[in-house]
Amino acid sequence: MPKSASIAALAAALTALCGSDLAAQEAAAVAAAPQHPDFSGLYFPAGRQQDPQRPEYTPAAAAAAAEYEKAFTLDDDPGRYCQWPGMPRAVWGAPFTVEIQQRPQDLTIYWEGYGMYRKIYMADHSPPTPLLPSAMGHSIAHWEGDTLVVETTNLKPYPYMTRQATSSDAHVVERIHLEERDVEGQKTKFVVNELVLTDPRIYKTPIKITANLRHRPDLQLLEYTCTDTLWDDYLNQRGLTLPDVDAFPDPQG
Amino acid sequence: MKKRLSGLLVAALAAFALPAVAHHSFAIYDMTQNIEFDGVVETLKMRNPHMAMTLTVTNADGTKKTINFVEGAPANMIVRMGLNPADVAAGKPIKAIGAPRKDDPNAYFLKAIILPDGRKYVSVGN
Repeated sequence: MPKSASIAALAAALTALCGSDLAAQEAAAVAAAPQHPDFSGLYFPAGRQQDPQRPEYTPAAAAAAAEYEKAFTLDDDPGRYCQWPGMPRAVWGAPFTVEIQQRPQDLTIYWEGYGMYRKIYMADHSPPTPLLPSAMGHSIAHWEGDTLVVETTNLKPYPYMTRQATSSDAHVVERIHLEERDVEGQKTKFVVNELVLTDPRIYKTPIKITANLRHRPDLQLLEYTCTDTLWDDYLNQRGLTLPDVDAFPDPQG
Repeated sequence: MKKRLSGLLVAALAAFALPAVAHHSFAIYDMTQNIEFDGVVETLKMRNPHMAMTLTVTNADGTKKTINFVEGAPANMIVRMGLNPADVAAGKPIKAIGAPRKDDPNAYFLKAIILPDGRKYVSVGN
């Protein structure tokens, strides 16, 4: 049966069931809406490729990078102090679970690592106006066939020159689609994200990165509280000891 | 059960940086060393981005000393490997393998945990 005929039949059936032309029209509209891929699920990072491997800095960025490398060691790590890597670095992510929840109006992505999350708003569902620059920026998406195209701006500076630095002018375009691949003899879903980072204050040319997420429904999203160590260090500096509440007598025991 | 997470930890440390650059380096530790300690867990902090532990070790002369593992694998990573935190709770006997800090030989990176039944959880090394 042609799609239009099946939708008409569905609408007629719903009219009969609902006893309301309006309800049936709404249901028919939903049924007639384009069916897009559903990215929802639990995933685990599964590799990435980058081109160019060593992006060429602008003169100002090259000078800043040289100074940075003189002054900062690898142990001067913003991640240790719970600074979110943010966009686009989060896309290729650390080896922790990632969860995507997709609705018609938006996608929400949770990264277990650093407890990061991100909203991607659909352009055709009245997205909000960005209020502040942020680590994840402001992401607006539309569909091109089965590919979700996402543009991200309003990123706050990430001035860590050895860690894929970005400025406020950074602009990220992602083309995200689903693929089915054979993994150990089993058909496995992958989310493939082909992104282009453009940041003319820092890089002379755009950087292309492809990152993969493998569907892992067997995993769970664990809590990742990054600040525990910082709090413990503070208590130690203050000479404070928290009560051991688990050592209190159990009145039931 | 997968008990080794060395590759994962290295990937975690490198993930948010350029490919040739680690998240934070192990340079402060002498990672060539694998010093084994048999002891009893004194304190355990199953936290991220790095777990921490102190171990009470009894010397040959009967005196006791505390070994301070100031960093190890991310808690989430090692429990995903299958380690049950109850098996390394305070009071539990374990074997731990550490690499000392170069500037503080009393502070160690926790490279591996071996339970009395032989189950081994490796964060770095073999």
